[in-house]
Amino acid sequence: MAADRVYKCLNPVGNQPEVDLFPLAPRLKSLDGKTIHLSICGEQDIWHPLEKKLKTDYPNVNWTVKKTYFITPFELSEEERKTTDAVILGVCW
Amino acid sequence: MSYTEEREKIKHDRTLYGMPQLRYVEASRSSLGGVEEANKVLPLLLDALTRPLTDEEKKPGHWAPKQPRILFEGTLPEAEEFYQQTENIPGILNAPYAVYTDGMPIVIPTEERVAAMLKGTSHKPDEIITLQRDIKMRGMGNIAEGFTRKKGDVVQFMPMFRTATVEQVAVNAVMAGCKPEWFSVALAMAESGGGTGDGRGWGGAFLVSGPIYKEIGMNVSYGRLGPGNPPNKNLGRLGSLMNRNLGGYKETVTGIGVGMSYGNPITNGGFMLAEYAEGLPPGWKGLNEELGFRKDESVLMTFQPSHWGLGQEHMPGVYRSFQRTGHGAIARFLGVKGIPGPHNYLDYLTKDMWACRDGGFTLLLPPQMAMDLYDYGFKTKEAVYEYLWKKSFEPLSEFRMRGRSDILTNGWTGKEKRSGKYWKELPDDYMVPAGGENPEQDYNVIVCDGQETACDRLGGGKGPGFSIDAWR
Repeated sequence: MAADRVYKCLNPVGNQPEVDLFPLAPRLKSLDGKTIHLSICGEQDIWHPLEKKLKTDYPNVNWTVKKTYFITPFELSEEERKTTDAVILGVCW
Repeated sequence: MSYTEEREKIKHDRTLYGMPQLRYVEASRSSLGGVEEANKVLPLLLDALTRPLTDEEKKPGHWAPKQPRILFEGTLPEAEEFYQQTENIPGILNAPYAVYTDGMPIVIPTEERVAAMLKGTSHKPDEIITLQRDIKMRGMGNIAEGFTRKKGDVVQFMPMFRTATVEQVAVNAVMAGCKPEWFSVALAMAESGGGTGDGRGWGGAFLVSGPIYKEIGMNVSYGRLGPGNPPNKNLGRLGSLMNRNLGGYKETVTGIGVGMSYGNPITNGGFMLAEYAEGLPPGWKGLNEELGFRKDESVLMTFQPSHWGLGQEHMPGVYRSFQRTGHGAIARFLGVKGIPGPHNYLDYLTKDMWACRDGGFTLLLPPQMAMDLYDYGFKTKEAVYEYLWKKSFEPLSEFRMRGRSDILTNGWTGKEKRSGKYWKELPDDYMVPAGGENPEQDYNVIVCDGQETACDRLGGGKGPGFSIDAWR
């Protein structure tokens, strides 16, 4: 291989699947009377005081909760999606 | 809501999961008790739910990054400089991080070299890597169910969910220093996902079983985990490159290494080992047969040898004295002083084995140590697995204090599988295996060549098996 020869060199990077990008869901004007889902996954530590405080400070919110110690959160069912106004997801690692 | 050190990964993953404007709030891991931190993040979370959307947040879009097939044109010295480029990453204190490599020099993947590599398989260069047979994936305690992936499913490389062609695997194989005659092993590695797992670590490790080890000259004898043998070293290294280039792993940006798989001193950027089936005692299956293949088939298995040096320490000569004449430390430990073997070495090995860790493990045994187990009465590998597993049982009161038990039981909300009862209903003295859920899935015995009677002990149970022959 001559030192000054020009080579075509190939790309080792894999193929990135295309992704549709979604706008954010409309925000809530007020929390009162709304159903807000807490999707808890991974480390639970901060959720212990946070869940307690949310439920204590905002009793007019219908808080729903699904917990897993795994990194993949539990999905909402189709029915739950229809009746849920907002979701807080955390804390994965 | 996520933790501060995951900032770049969250920002990155927002696009990967289709919501680049997703609002997030950072919490600190170091806030004692979490109460103060909860008080801090609560108003931020509620603000994120109620603050009106900006125009940018209302926009839909499409993310379609493209990569050129030809990445660089120039002389070899110029190419070496190009492929060795790094970027400084804030999450690792602005240390440089390789863009296309594992940080070490590579073989430049010229078109000619890649074409030569492609002669090592009958598969076409533009073929997408897919599963060559149905694969049963294991579950994990109460938090993840097992499932089956089908033959023909496109393999995704994590954490970026990328796919790859046979040619793209060849490019990485050239870069790692592989030879065309090893390429079927490289493609089986790719079929396994390149050891990228679920994308949270830095790759994995690979075990080869079957006649290909001899065909390509893998070292299954002394120094099998050390330097000097090109197939072991370069194929092992290929896992790192697949993780970087096919999986898209970038430290603290697309994933955060916390000591799993390649991110530890065991794999250290590449772990490839083969079985020496000729050294198996009579009736003991090779790994290929354990995984459902024939003994003349060459297969590859991924596993995670992330714990090293398990069990009691001894010099090879101490073991020989113990078995041959009943002398030395192991004989004293087991109370067989002066009595020639065979003795049950597993009783020595497993003393306090699970004191500070749980799960199964992998033994790499030289033929004599395997034969001693056989002569003692372990006529199959499965009998060894069963014995080890049963040694790990302990009362539930102790199992509750283990580091992974909260996770594996999903916070003690699930059912204990053997009894079918909820964890919270079981009494304190209920006996639970600390050494994994299933003896045949959580343990491996791999026989290697060598006369010295010391075994290597690693973590990791069985992963799925992938046919190397399918990629010839």
